[in-house]
Amino acid sequence: MAMEKAAAENAEKAAPLKLLGSWASSYTHRVQLALRLKGLEFEYAEEDLGSKSEALLRNNPVYKKVPVLVLPDGRALAESAIILHYLDDAFPSARQLLPADPFDRAVARFWCHFSDDKLGPAVGAVFASTGEEQEAAVRQVHENLALLEAELREGAFKGRRFFGGDEVGFLDVVLGCGSYWLAVFEEVTGVQLVDADAFPLFHAWLRDFEAQEEVRETIPSVDRLLDYARGLRQMLLAMAAGAGAPADAPTAAPPSAAPPAPATADIAVDI
Amino acid sequence: MASEKSSSDLTLLDFWVSPFGQRVRIALAEKNLPYEYVEEDLLAGKSERLLQSNPVHKKIPVLLHGGKPVNESLIIVQYLDEAFPDTPSLLPSDPYARAQARFWADYVDKKVYDCGTRLWKLKGEPQAQARAEMLEILKTLETELGDKEFFGGEHGFGFVDAAFAPFTPWFMSYEKYGEFKVAEVAPKIAAWAERVGKRESVAKSLYSPDKVYDHIGVLKKKYGIE
Repeated sequence: MAMEKAAAENAEKAAPLKLLGSWASSYTHRVQLALRLKGLEFEYAEEDLGSKSEALLRNNPVYKKVPVLVLPDGRALAESAIILHYLDDAFPSARQLLPADPFDRAVARFWCHFSDDKLGPAVGAVFASTGEEQEAAVRQVHENLALLEAELREGAFKGRRFFGGDEVGFLDVVLGCGSYWLAVFEEVTGVQLVDADAFPLFHAWLRDFEAQEEVRETIPSVDRLLDYARGLRQMLLAMAAGAGAPADAPTAAPPSAAPPAPATADIAVDI
Repeated sequence: MASEKSSSDLTLLDFWVSPFGQRVRIALAEKNLPYEYVEEDLLAGKSERLLQSNPVHKKIPVLLHGGKPVNESLIIVQYLDEAFPDTPSLLPSDPYARAQARFWADYVDKKVYDCGTRLWKLKGEPQAQARAEMLEILKTLETELGDKEFFGGEHGFGFVDAAFAPFTPWFMSYEKYGEFKVAEVAPKIAAWAERVGKRESVAKSLYSPDKVYDHIGVLKKKYGIE
């Protein structure tokens, strides 16, 4: 029995997980970061979202999106938050990202859903709009950040350095992989999103999160993100103005830059 | 609905016809957990307790366990699995199967209610688009169900079944507004709906298709839709 168990453990360590992702996708970063935090080996395959691979389409036929985690036996999983849950379940001896207590887990899941459903789209809306529409989107972002700030100040996460406690956990990974876009979007749109005075605890959390070694390994350089964001902003504004025909939009990226502009829905300009 | 003061210290803030609330009622019934059911008359306004328990979204269902609120139906159902581990679990134990169950429950969550709402609310081209999407959703779920008795497969009635079952009384309304038949578009789903409707936990949690159809009529009046 002991030998079988050891063999199974060796197999678990030896067989590589494979991640299909996109370098600018914060959903992809969530999984990369989770794998690194857990010390799990993985192979990474960059997807050209403008021309999706057969492997991506086959492994995620429902949404055709990244990230997709492919297991050694060929079975695949999609949806970043679900992949993160899977990694906790499948590798119980590795660092767990979700909290242990059922109520804390429910709270973490609630704010994860909030991030994906409310905050992320609001930030995306700021980025894709101008004028009054953008002002409304900015107000929405501020309202959403205020809710998180309140939870840090006097609610579920009071007194914590990270949402997960003393160490980075599930909600940190979810919120953090995406929050780096805030500073980038501020730079590109000239709009203030995270005022350190208005959101001191969120600001401090983000700074501590971004200083973590595994996070620095995962998040692309600010220059690359700025480049990407500038190109994307141009394209989104052109689409909004109705000059969205491919011939007009700046899809011809300079040779050194990021992959061709993918469909908006795939772009994880999210948080 | 169970309304005796609960020994498990559970209270459910809910709205009778909400498919999201019904998921929780089904889960509680599957686990044989007593609870206090509190009807929130959403059309009349929201109670103080609801606003305090779910200040972010101000929505039902809300589960109060020892007074502490748990929000969002699928989160509540997972919570019940985790907080009451000695009761029958809705999620399977195998990690991959759990992930697949979460994936499909999430799919139902993302797609069905929103598309269904557009189907009865809108007209013309947008309604036609909603109709096309609904057919696509049903066909996708049909493929996932396959020849299984329940979405839970080997596990039996599970997380995805509980997530989707509350929408089965809405099929009749979708059929009327979309002019299609579930039995023709997705016969396995139609058969599953009938099967699952006979399950005790589901039967006692859901209302008839006629009641759902009437409720949609009430909503349309409220929103001033013809």
